[in-house]
Amino acid sequence: MPLKFTLNGKEVCLEDVPGEATLLEVLRQRLGMLGAKEGCGVGECGACTVLLDGKAVDSCLTAAWQAAGRQVTTVEGLAQGETLHPIQQGFADTGAVQCGFCTPGMILTALDLVEQAPQPSEDQIRRAMSGNLCRCTGYHDVVRAVRRGAKYLRGEGEEQ
Amino acid sequence: MSRFLTPATVQEALKALAQPGAKVLAGGTDLMISLRQARMNGAELPELLVDVTRLPEITRMELDGPNCYLGAGLTFRFLDESLEARRRVPVLAQAASMVGSMQVRQTGTIGGNVANGSPAADGMSALVALDAVAEIASLEGVRHCPLSELITAPNQTTLAPGELILGYIITPPPEPEGQVFLKVGRRHEVAVSRLNMAACLDRELTDPRVVLGSCFPSPRRLVDVEALIKSGKPGPELWQAAGEQAASHFTDVCGWRSSATYKVPAITRITARALKRAWAQLEGRS
Repeated sequence: MPLKFTLNGKEVCLEDVPGEATLLEVLRQRLGMLGAKEGCGVGECGACTVLLDGKAVDSCLTAAWQAAGRQVTTVEGLAQGETLHPIQQGFADTGAVQCGFCTPGMILTALDLVEQAPQPSEDQIRRAMSGNLCRCTGYHDVVRAVRRGAKYLRGEGEEQ
Repeated sequence: MSRFLTPATVQEALKALAQPGAKVLAGGTDLMISLRQARMNGAELPELLVDVTRLPEITRMELDGPNCYLGAGLTFRFLDESLEARRRVPVLAQAASMVGSMQVRQTGTIGGNVANGSPAADGMSALVALDAVAEIASLEGVRHCPLSELITAPNQTTLAPGELILGYIITPPPEPEGQVFLKVGRRHEVAVSRLNMAACLDRELTDPRVVLGSCFPSPRRLVDVEALIKSGKPGPELWQAAGEQAASHFTDVCGWRSSATYKVPAITRITARALKRAWAQLEGRS
């Protein structure tokens, strides 16, 4: 039986996906979606974060088959053509990116957060982002980025 | 290579689980890590993974009336965000809010938390404080087992192949205001508990519950500490005495290990602090 799910708004259909395969492996190796990264592989670092039905999950801990029939969103699905998603724009404008390895996961976690809390407090941001590790810049700019992105998403701020 | 099945009903799930080599997959936050390990070591994989997360029966939550019930498929994120859970079983909602990261809470379930049998499982300590009795199904029928008897050793349970935890019958303490969950870990978020404590008090001190986790093979109620509280007068001296009793309970059971130098004062304080907070919450609302 083929595995079917919706990836960034488009239906995908894959043959011969083993039961033990992770969603991360399938995204990277079968579908060429390289935004999600494998950092630790055990659900500590959040570099593999994707949205499953709009909620942030570690794709390294999610069996690919658990995505069957669901909506999967990776960082590749956020920008509209050349226009970045407001959260992405927030990260770009605050310089909250150094090597960029953790950034896709950070952005997707932030997106889940701002869906719940359109105007998140610093505490809410820090708590929500605690499952996403960055080894370059520290977290100060990440907090600013999420706040700025949330602002853009609310339609405030000049960068819209 | 494992086969994968997503049953739509409990009966279908139980049939699948009765096959040799079948394994329950819930949130996957522990199982996927052990599968990864097995793959890296070339070890054997389960024949069949049975994904129980789409069974509507196991996400039932009933917190009003005499028959309180928590489905095994309820996730930590759901319990953290549920206003009903916050109001009726705050000790569990608080524990849920401190499990792993937002991503882990999104998929991790209270069924998997118990079935995995980690001595440091935060959800487990809260469930023990709620006097949870697991409802366990197999093709042979349904059995009930108190959580304290379900875990036999670290990561070992009495769950037999073919069995599935459907949920927990719980008996919440009389006053939800007096419930507190605390934990100590290496950092504030995304940390495995070095110690955790679920404490429940009521104004009359008739039904105190004090559960210490991450110290024993599985979290347990400290009945001697509870007896002390029942016979005492609420206040700082009682909370401190309860803390000291909790620490001596720990050394009685586990002996004086190298970690005890740290754990004994930490247990004393986490117990006293949890009880103090629980009482302050009760007084604040009376």
